[in-house]
Amino acid sequence: MSERNYWTRMRRQRVSRRTMLGASAKAGVGAAGIALVGCGDDDDDDVVAQVAEQADAQTQAREQTEQAAEQQAEQAAEQVEQAEQAEPAEQAAEQAAVARLDMTPVDGGTIVQQSANVYETVDASLTVASPVIQVLARIQSKLLRFSNPDSGEMTGDLASGWETPDGQTVVLQLRDGVTWHSEGPGADNPASTAGRALTAEDLAFNINRQKAGLLQDGTDGPFGRKGYWSSIETIDIDDGAMTMNLAGPDATFIQGLANEFNLMGQPELLNAVEAEAVDIAPEKVIGTGPFILTEWIPGEGISAVRNPDYYNKGARADSYVWIQSFEDPTAYRIGFEQKQVDSMTDPDPDVIMAIHDGMVDESYLTYQGVANTVAIYVNPNVEPWNDLRLVKAIDLAIDRRRLIQQFHNGLGKVSGPVSWMQQAWAIPQEEITDYGAYSVDRDAALVEANALWQAGGGPDLGPIDWVTSETWALRAAWNSTPEIIATMFNDAFSTDQFVGVTKSYGEIIPSWFGKTFDPFFSWIPNIEIPDARADMAAAFKTGSPGNIWSVNEPDEIDAKVDAALAELDYDTANGLIREVQDFVIDNGQFGRCICYNYIYPFLAWNYLHPTLKTESEGWNFLASSLDANDQWIDPNDPSHEGRSVPSAKPI
Amino acid sequence: MQQYIIRRAVLNVFVLWIVATLVFFAVQVLPGNFATQQFASANLGGVTPESIARAEAVLGLDRPVVEQYGTFLWDLVQFDLGESFRSKRSVWNELGKAVPYSLELGFLIVLVGFSIAIPVGILSAVHQDKLPDYVLRGGAILALAAPVFWTASIAVIFVLKWDLFKIDVTGQPHLWEDPQAALQWYLIPMFAGGIAGTATTMRLLRSQMLEVLRQDYVVTARAKGLRERTIVMRHALRNAWLPVLTVMGLTIATIIGSQIVLEQMFNIPGVGRLLFQSIFLRDTPLLEGLVLVVAFVVVFTNLFVDVLYGLLDPRVRLA
Repeated sequence: MSERNYWTRMRRQRVSRRTMLGASAKAGVGAAGIALVGCGDDDDDDVVAQVAEQADAQTQAREQTEQAAEQQAEQAAEQVEQAEQAEPAEQAAEQAAVARLDMTPVDGGTIVQQSANVYETVDASLTVASPVIQVLARIQSKLLRFSNPDSGEMTGDLASGWETPDGQTVVLQLRDGVTWHSEGPGADNPASTAGRALTAEDLAFNINRQKAGLLQDGTDGPFGRKGYWSSIETIDIDDGAMTMNLAGPDATFIQGLANEFNLMGQPELLNAVEAEAVDIAPEKVIGTGPFILTEWIPGEGISAVRNPDYYNKGARADSYVWIQSFEDPTAYRIGFEQKQVDSMTDPDPDVIMAIHDGMVDESYLTYQGVANTVAIYVNPNVEPWNDLRLVKAIDLAIDRRRLIQQFHNGLGKVSGPVSWMQQAWAIPQEEITDYGAYSVDRDAALVEANALWQAGGGPDLGPIDWVTSETWALRAAWNSTPEIIATMFNDAFSTDQFVGVTKSYGEIIPSWFGKTFDPFFSWIPNIEIPDARADMAAAFKTGSPGNIWSVNEPDEIDAKVDAALAELDYDTANGLIREVQDFVIDNGQFGRCICYNYIYPFLAWNYLHPTLKTESEGWNFLASSLDANDQWIDPNDPSHEGRSVPSAKPI
Repeated sequence: MQQYIIRRAVLNVFVLWIVATLVFFAVQVLPGNFATQQFASANLGGVTPESIARAEAVLGLDRPVVEQYGTFLWDLVQFDLGESFRSKRSVWNELGKAVPYSLELGFLIVLVGFSIAIPVGILSAVHQDKLPDYVLRGGAILALAAPVFWTASIAVIFVLKWDLFKIDVTGQPHLWEDPQAALQWYLIPMFAGGIAGTATTMRLLRSQMLEVLRQDYVVTARAKGLRERTIVMRHALRNAWLPVLTVMGLTIATIIGSQIVLEQMFNIPGVGRLLFQSIFLRDTPLLEGLVLVVAFVVVFTNLFVDVLYGLLDPRVRLA
């Protein structure tokens, strides 16, 4: 199945939670019946016979479960068949969707979205979390930006053009006529210079500040992209051009310029507010982007209005309003269905599907991959996990497809060491099943897993706490995760050793950096650009701060990753990364057991036109910069009637 | 009476100090702090021990616990509850925004709850073991069994299905700003919360009424030929009322509890919602301030009820 078809068939092939529960219920009834029969014989004191009966009952229960699985497969096949019969209707729907995408955009209106409740800083250079970027990407600009965030195609932003004469040099032609916002709270701040022209020195300041990683008081600052900018050795500025000379060949560097986190701020304001950058306020932000920030009150609301002096064609929408985060799906549903917000998404796909089903003519669904890769971490720095056999056993025992089904109703795809979202670098879906840990043949994988588990002394380890991060488990759709993960391993190893527990990041983070963490299930850091080479280097190169697993493989990993980073020929680089992935999987991923990336259904009213990859697919990576310019509202769409939205705070 | 009130008030202050201390140390036991929680959405990406240490230093979380406790108490006696870590606004400011919403919703819940419970309790007692009694008691048991989030969710589905009225989850109007919009917004939570609080009061009032209606003075009143309405309202209800009043005071605490759920469901930025957020984010100044305020409301409401008890029943000597 091609990737394209995957998306269009995604919904059809989904085995719904209802189907799953139905089949599970049948299996459960069968197992319970067998258990009751087994328990009925109270007079029999023969322990051996009881054990034999229990084993028998377990076997029968397993058979029941297998039958249920077969039923699921049959039902899924029926669904596909039915969906294929409904092809003409779907084609018509797709044509309608294409027509919608082809519509001529209309300028104006206010776009209303949900916002986060916590922002740790107003300074993009000092942030590590995407909520800040989702706001600032509308206000500030980068040197380049992605025109296709998934493939990595780029276009100019503050640089109108660029060249890479060799793997070690990047020449940027800076755009003429770019000015900092001339009005708004940030422009009114006495520390800023409203309306002045952007200079190459402004950009060099942003880069050098992050590269040095120092705050004005001389202390180390939490600059999240210090590592990236440190690969620049020198910057030359000459007649509207900026030349970056890299310390070594790095073919991935250029994409980083379009990374959503690499926004440029005005030096004088950055310096003035640096000490209080954690106190969120709109007067601390000025930019060159399509919108001017007029309000920023965490937990209450955020507003931005169109920048009349924006260098480009300008934004479609007049203003943006981010309302406070709905922490309960009921409130979000009310807000969406009563058109107080324009779009909705939820961790539980069934919620979104159900709402869409009730308003199918007025709303549309798209699907987008989530850049937070889901993983199970085992800590090979400490006993007993420093025994690679146990790590490999765990990697093999993870039933990735079952997790996708249980947590995301089938909306997701397994990921190898490189996420499937970094499509050009990932092991293709049709090939990844050849690896034991990703095999569809779970029985064979479990035989191997059990052999390794036994050989590594797994059964003698006693109770094993398996942590789920609190942030994950707090979501209503996922609150059984600790038990689900523990059950998965207990089933795989026919044991009851695994115990599901929950911990906050407050507990996880210190043990993470101390390399003393308990095994846990959660997301791994966001992937930010489509090129996977830098991520592989960060995770597995000897001595890399991100190499939490203390992997030390100079020949099989370091040399190949270095060669790939320097390689300008895509096929050669791709081959090297594939070799590294093969090696990593062969070693149980060294405890960094990547599982999958799930897919969110995104529901919007027909009148909202976000930027989309295709008619049914949203962008997998952050696309705030694209949305800032191109998202639009169609007031003539019938669904627009009755829309009631808050107005943005004016300048 | 005056001495009693002063004594109880002093005792309440002592209780508040105990609560403040318990909350302070309970928060310390919670794993993690705001400095780490705010990085949760980064999923370990880009976060370093240094960035966490810096954030902790900015927030004052790097100081010894005893020193933090001392500062907390010293600020408290000056009525300074500190600043919210998240918003950087004073806790009083946060409370000033949240309390009116909670008071509005709380008042409406109480209004609905007691408006239903009192007549239903009386009717049920007057018609003991007859059809109205069975129906009303059945209804009360149903109300007791149905969790507020379930009742509210069902009501929301109906409102959305038939587009009955707007529930302004984004505008969040106050009753005094836009009464109609605010009432529409509060309608489901006030009924869901009110009905849930009805059952206990209704059942207690019914049993008290039944006991009182069998008293000699009620028989005498009937023998005198007084109207049934007068007997019930003037002679029976006034005497059955006292234990119910005590329970109503305690119900306030329950209502605050149910408001946390309702405020989350309907995006009402009240105290309950703020409490939930502050726990999740480990926003300790806000959490401590909120718990203290809630404790203050509960202990002084109970003092108020006790005083009212004495006023309503002269036989009760509070001094």
